[in-house]
Amino acid sequence: MTKVVGEEPGDEAELIRARQRMRARIMAWLLGGFVVLLFLITMDKIATGH
Amino acid sequence: MPTVPMTTPAALPADWRDLLALTKPRVMSLVVFSGLCGLLAAPVMLPLAIGFTAILCIALGAGAAGALNQWYEADLDSKMRRTANRPLPAGRLDRQTALHFGVGLAVFSVLLMELATNTLAGLLLAASILFYVLIYTVWLKRRTAQNIVIGGAAGAFPPLIGWVAATGRIEVLPVLLFAIIFLWTPPHFWALSLFVRSDYAAANVPMMPVVAGVAATRRQILIYSVVMAAAAVAPWPLGLTGWIYGGAAAVLGALFVAFAIAVACNKASEPKLMGPEKKLFAFSIVYLFALFAALVADRWLLA
Repeated sequence: MTKVVGEEPGDEAELIRARQRMRARIMAWLLGGFVVLLFLITMDKIATGH
Repeated sequence: MPTVPMTTPAALPADWRDLLALTKPRVMSLVVFSGLCGLLAAPVMLPLAIGFTAILCIALGAGAAGALNQWYEADLDSKMRRTANRPLPAGRLDRQTALHFGVGLAVFSVLLMELATNTLAGLLLAASILFYVLIYTVWLKRRTAQNIVIGGAAGAFPPLIGWVAATGRIEVLPVLLFAIIFLWTPPHFWALSLFVRSDYAAANVPMMPVVAGVAATRRQILIYSVVMAAAAVAPWPLGLTGWIYGGAAAVLGALFVAFAIAVACNKASEPKLMGPEKKLFAFSIVYLFALFAALVADRWLLA
């Protein structure tokens, strides 16, 4: 039998939590990458005398 | 008191894949490539992290423009088969999330570009996003059949931004690269709009085939193709590039014009019989990739 997502409150809450977890994980990776990028930009700027 | 059912898409946090789809990743690939070529063709070599950041900012800026375009055009997209499954018309994402995502990405990309490279590159990136969103999407697209002609300028910015990120100056060659993409956009989009014109007509978008007809659009495609092919070769006789780029531009331009002649000679009005239009559309993408790759090869091998 096909189960409709969000039909039951439990499914809905689980779907919301799963999406929040995934977005939080992606955001953490992006922020980490941004910090590394800023560090590398700063190193490059220092190396080129800016 | 009205209640909002929990099962509406707006009640769910957006899926990251829908946010990614808002940025039009396929369009972004061509934007990133032309921006990268502009940067690599410049006479100044940027340090790796700064060069990478410049390209990242061009990609993020293009993604922001795509997201804001989809935010504004959700009503149009829902009327066209080609776009009906995008996150907003399909109801997988709410409009406010798309707006916040687009504005946030735009501001972030411009600030990071200014921080990593120079103010002029940041200003050009801001101008390209604003041009695409305000001039093309909001103002021109629903008002005139020349929407693509003027709006094409937005897509022509990336090589100029890449060059300016590296050098800090606007020079003749990147302006010519801008002109090439500007002239390339009408035949590219009109070829597409010929075989999906029923979509545009259903959505009331005044694209050239809907307003001026199929035959007039085919003539315009040929005229723009000839002018674009000539503009693409121009950097060679002007002494701005070497023979590698000049030869590639001449051969690719001749092929482009040959495809455009096949389109001009086609009398069919049924999308099923628009083989030449589909071939021109596909070739136009290959053309731009190959032309810019030849430019970089020319600069690196002959400089």
